[in-house]
Parts: sequence; C-alpha cells; structure tokens
Amino acid sequence: MRKAWVVAKREFVARVKTKQFVIATVFFPVLLAGVMVAPILLQGNTRAKWIVVVDAAEGGLGEKVEAALTRATRSGNPDGEHRYVASRVEAVGRLEQVRDSLVALVDRRELGDAGIDGVLLVSDEVLVTDTLHYLGGNVGSPSEMETLTQTVQEAVLTERLMQAGISPAVLMQTVKPIELVTAKVSQGRLTGQSGAASFALAYVMSIVLYVALLIYGVQVMTSTVEEKTNRINEVLVSSLRPFELMLGKVLGVGSVALLQLSIYAGVAYGLTQARGAIAGLAGMSPEAAAAMPIPDIPLGLLIVFLVFFVLGFFFYSAAYAAVGSTCNTVQETQMASFPVTILIVSGLFVMFKLLGEPNGQLAHVLSLVPPLAPFVTPARYSLSPLPLPELLLSVAVTALGVLAMAWVAGRIYRVGILMYGKRATVREIVRWIRAG
Amino acid sequence: MSGPVVRLEHVTKRFAGHTAVHDLSLDVPAGTIFGLLGPNGAGKSTAIRMMMDILVPDEGRVSLFGGGVGGRDLAHRIGYLPEERGLYKKMKVLDHLVFFGETKGVSPARARSKAAEWLARLGLSDWTDKKIEDLSKGMQQKVQFAGTILHDPELVILDEPFSGLDPVNSQVLKETVIDLARTGKTVLFSTHIMEQAEKMCDRVVIISRGEKVVDGTMAEVKREAGGRHVALAFHRDAARAAPVLRDRSLVARVDDDGASAEVELAPEGDSDRLLERLVASGAGLSRFEIVEPSLQSIFIAKVGLEAATAAAITDRPGRTTHA
Repeated sequence: MRKAWVVAKREFVARVKTKQFVIATVFFPVLLAGVMVAPILLQGNTRAKWIVVVDAAEGGLGEKVEAALTRATRSGNPDGEHRYVASRVEAVGRLEQVRDSLVALVDRRELGDAGIDGVLLVSDEVLVTDTLHYLGGNVGSPSEMETLTQTVQEAVLTERLMQAGISPAVLMQTVKPIELVTAKVSQGRLTGQSGAASFALAYVMSIVLYVALLIYGVQVMTSTVEEKTNRINEVLVSSLRPFELMLGKVLGVGSVALLQLSIYAGVAYGLTQARGAIAGLAGMSPEAAAAMPIPDIPLGLLIVFLVFFVLGFFFYSAAYAAVGSTCNTVQETQMASFPVTILIVSGLFVMFKLLGEPNGQLAHVLSLVPPLAPFVTPARYSLSPLPLPELLLSVAVTALGVLAMAWVAGRIYRVGILMYGKRATVREIVRWIRAG
Repeated sequence: MSGPVVRLEHVTKRFAGHTAVHDLSLDVPAGTIFGLLGPNGAGKSTAIRMMMDILVPDEGRVSLFGGGVGGRDLAHRIGYLPEERGLYKKMKVLDHLVFFGETKGVSPARARSKAAEWLARLGLSDWTDKKIEDLSKGMQQKVQFAGTILHDPELVILDEPFSGLDPVNSQVLKETVIDLARTGKTVLFSTHIMEQAEKMCDRVVIISRGEKVVDGTMAEVKREAGGRHVALAFHRDAARAAPVLRDRSLVARVDDDGASAEVELAPEGDSDRLLERLVASGAGLSRFEIVEPSLQSIFIAKVGLEAATAAAITDRPGRTTHA
C-alpha cells in the first residue's frame, strides 16, 4: 500500500500546483469576505433619510408621525443610530401646493445632505381611509417601505386608540411586541446553541458535503478517464495494483478537497473572530457586529461531520472512479455518472426532509443506509445528538458500505482502466465484478 | 544466473471472440537479447502482458526469475515499456521520472539522480524542467524509455520499442539496449520489423495467430530455415528478370522488393544456371550473392505472406484484461 501514497502524493502535488487551484483557493475566501463585509460597509454608509411630513391633519396626527419617525432607530435600540431625520410642515388647506414645492426638492443629488429623501402626506383622512401617500426616491426598496409603514402605523395606531379614549401609558404597554428566545435542549441538557444555529449548521454541512462530492468526486472520475486517454495506466499497472492506483487517486484528490475546505473554514473562522474589528473599520458598533448570525460549531459536531465527510467522500469517489474507468471520454462520463449523481442529490433532499423530524422512524432507518448516512447523520446530530450507540452503529454501517463500494469499484476499475473501444455495458460490468 | 529469466509453459489466453495466445511455451535465458516477433495481432502484446501479470493466462504457467510470483511483485526487478506509451502531459520531465522511480520502490533522491543520469545519456539534459507536453513525440518516447530503466532492472521488457522513432533515435535506443545486455541485463523486445531484430537479437521466437512457429538462437533459426538463398539487385530493368524468377524449376520462392530481391533456389535449381539466365535477361544484374536467409524471408516463409501483410493493415480489436 506504500505505492498508493506515491500515487496520492503525485495527484495532490499535480492538483495543488495548478492555476485553477490557486485561483479557486484565493478567490473564494475573497468572495466570502466580500459577502460578509459588504453589508456592514453598506450599512455603515447609509445616512439617515430626511423625510418631510406634510401635515394637513388638525388633530395632532402630524406631530405623532414626526415623533415616531424621529424615534425610530436602525437596531430598534432607543440609543441606536437614527433611521430618519424628520421635519414637519403645516399645510392645512394647502396640501397640494406644499407637496408640489417639496417634491421639487426630493432626490436632488446635487444638493447632497440638504436634499430631501421623501415627502409623507398626513391628513385626518387616513384614520378613515387607511391610506397614506409617500413620495420619495427610495420607494423601490421593499424593505425600506416596510419599515416606514411600520413606523407610521405605530403613530396612526396610537392616534386611533387615543381618539377611542385609551391613555398613552396603557397604550405603550399593549403595543410592545414580544420576542421568542429559543435555546436547544438535547438529551435533557441545555446546549447553549440556539434553534436557528443548529438548523443553519445542519443545512450548511450538508451543502458543503454535497458541493465537495460533486466537485471533487467528479475530479476523481475525470482524472481516471484522462489517464485512460493518456494511456498511462498500463505503465502504472505494471508496477502497482489497480486498487492501489484507485486508492491513491481518491486519497490524493480527497486531501486536496480537505486542504481547500480547511483554508475556506480557516478564513471564515478568522473573519468571524475579527468581525468586531471589521465592523469598527466600517464605523459600526461592536454589539451590532456581534449580533450577526454566525453559529459556533461544537467540537463533537465537527468530529461527526468530518468522519462522515471522509466516509462519504470515499464512498462516492470510489463510485466515480469506477464509472470513469468504464468510459473513454469525459463526455461519456456525463451520462454514465448519472446514477451516482442521483444518489448524491437524493442524499441532500432526504436531509432536507428530515430537518423537520430529526428523530422520526425514517431518520433512524436512513442513518443506516450507507449512501445517505453521510448527509443524514451529521444533520440529525446537529439538530439533536443521537445516542452514542446509534451514532457508532451509523458510522460502522457506513464504513462497511464504503468497504463494499471500494471492493466493487476496485473490480470494475482494474478491468476498466485497460479497456478501450466501446463503453462497457452493464452486463459486462457485472461480469467484471464477478470474475475472479 | 542459471535458468531462464522468463518462462512460459503452455500458456493460453482467450478473449471474447478469439484465442490471442495458444499453447505458447518459451524460455528467455539470462543475459540475452530476446526477440518476440510476429505480425500485428499475433499475440505478442498479450504474451508480454501475461509476463507482466497484467493479464492472467487461462491455461499454463508464467514464471519469472525461476519463481512463481507474478510480475507486479517483482516490479522493482523489471522494466516494462508497454506498447501504449503514456505520460502525464502536465508534469515536468524530471518530476515524472522520479514518480516512475517511486512506483518501483526507488527513493526519491536516488530516482532523481538516476533520472538526471539517463536524461543526460539520452540527450535530454536541457529538458528536465520542461513539461512533457512541450516535448516532441520522439523526446517523449525517450523519456518513457528512461522511466522504464531508471530503477536499474535485471529484466527489461520492451513492447514495440522502435515504433514511432526516427532513424537517429532508433540508433540511440538500439545502442542503449545493446549496452544493457552487455552489462548482464536480459532484454526481451517485441517487434514486427525483422531488420531490427536480425541485427540485435541473440534469440528469437516468431509467433503467428497466437502460436509459436519459430524458436531458437539466430544461428539455429537460419540454419534450420536452410535452403540456398541468393540476394539479387538490378540496375536496369528488373521487370525483365521476372520470367526467370517465375521459373519454378529454378526458384522456389521470391521475396521481391522491386529493384532487389531475395530468392530461395528450388531443390533441383542451380545457382550457376540462375546467374546465366539473369545475365541473359538484360535486367542489369548488379548483385548476385549466395546468402543465409534473412530473418525477413524466414518470417514470411513461416507466417505466410498473406498473414504478414494483411495483419499489418487491419487494426487490432479492443482488448479486455484483468489483473
């Protein structure tokens, strides 16, 4: 088996030295950093919007709307950054004239900060018709319009309730929203992980496995076909067993996958740790940065994930190597690898299904199906850790599945890599597997 | 070393539609240059693959170095150049050779120095850091050859080593092979080019349609082929000699190359009479020499002209293998 290492080493070096690897390895973290940092930078640069309330109401609704706008902050925290700068223009009886003169000043970029962002028309009619008019440059942004609606609604609601004779103090108490704070309990113990975080982790892990299998598994297949095209197999097979060759290839490509993913994970971890500093650069408060939803991965889960990642990778890479060995061109592999790809896709779909019920009967069964377990078991573990015996059983069964797949794949591979001409039929392949 | 380095005993290999090798037995003595000859599709490569343990014979026994172990476990003692040459196009020449060395169990450092040595010897010193894909076909062949022998094997098996080489590189390869034999290595190579084999081999086996038709030392083979052969050449009009050469009372067989020919005299034929008739024909005789039969003429006599040429143009069928 020492020779498998020689093959793995060559495969690893040949891949890591390519431009594609360097670009992918550098480019992805930059993209990741961009995705994480850009919203912070953009947020930091948004100034408060200047909204002029054109007040044609007689009962004080205009003041209330102005006050609500002034009170509104980005974080919801009363001490936070203000969302709006509001001013009010009395316009009883001359709504149209005031509106038109103000609209002329809206979205005039040359005015800079002196430009008005929007004009809100307030009249007593709103209490009856439920309709308000806002004229602004930012009406295209649904999220901004939604927060504006909420802010104004608060003022209108207060006004309506006050007209119905309810005191402002009672009012403040009644309209307060509630927040549901979740905490995950597993096996009777609090885990300190929030429900959302577990869910996100299960999701992300499955996607990472899925993408890695599709990218690197397919690389094992493509490189198998390329070696056939190169006609290098016969030279190699005279000095090492086809199985050593296949194992070396899977190990080599697998190490590249792990290296690349580790670099990504390292960068992501670094960014997470430095998010305070990055946010600081962008002029954002540290607590706002800390509120960004980045879950920490518990060590146990990380180990379970890595174990199943490696098992899944071996299982599917061996399958891909076998498929590659039966083909003569990369084009042929696209059709031939369909069954393997379907299995990977169904693994991901099954995982999505189980997120709703991670401890159901189906989940227990699927954890013991080798092709699906790499997707199912880590996701289940994240949502609600399996009892240790069940976890070990899942690992053992999957490992047996990997060995079985390696055996079958090895038998196909040793014949396939030296076969040229027509693509092998399923019947021929079955004969190769049976042949002593 | 005593005993044959390679021994095949009644080896048979069948593929889906046909028998590639049938009841083949041969011994390759240590320290010889051994030619495995035959037209394309005769089963040479199949026989070699069985020696290398890439194929398993259906019947019979293969033994190397007097033991019963397959070729792969002896990989470090054997250098094998397959008919299908293959290199990683993106790898650098030196790195590639080091990789080949390592698959034979040579340490990277030793593989590196050996590779550099062979590259120098084959005139590729300036190319060590170039990628394989930047090399010409001939240079790639030489790199492949260096990869075959850099682990200093006792037995070198070359499948069609001269195919695709220009005369200069053929010469370099030939000299290297002869040098290897001189240092006590055993060389087995297959070819369908008889001139090459005739000059180099101590011993030959000719196979046709999977069966052995000739086996022996070069001298034995020629003696056994017997007959009286005359080499002829014409400088005026070879066509005028044709009626003479067709006279079956005089000439048994002609290996006609146009301006030159090699004929085998008929049992009752007489060389003096042939000379007289040819001079009289006016073809302009420029060579008339009683010779030993050439390997080429023995080959054609044994294999049959039809098989020798027909097989050379048809492509071989796809092969199945298992190791």
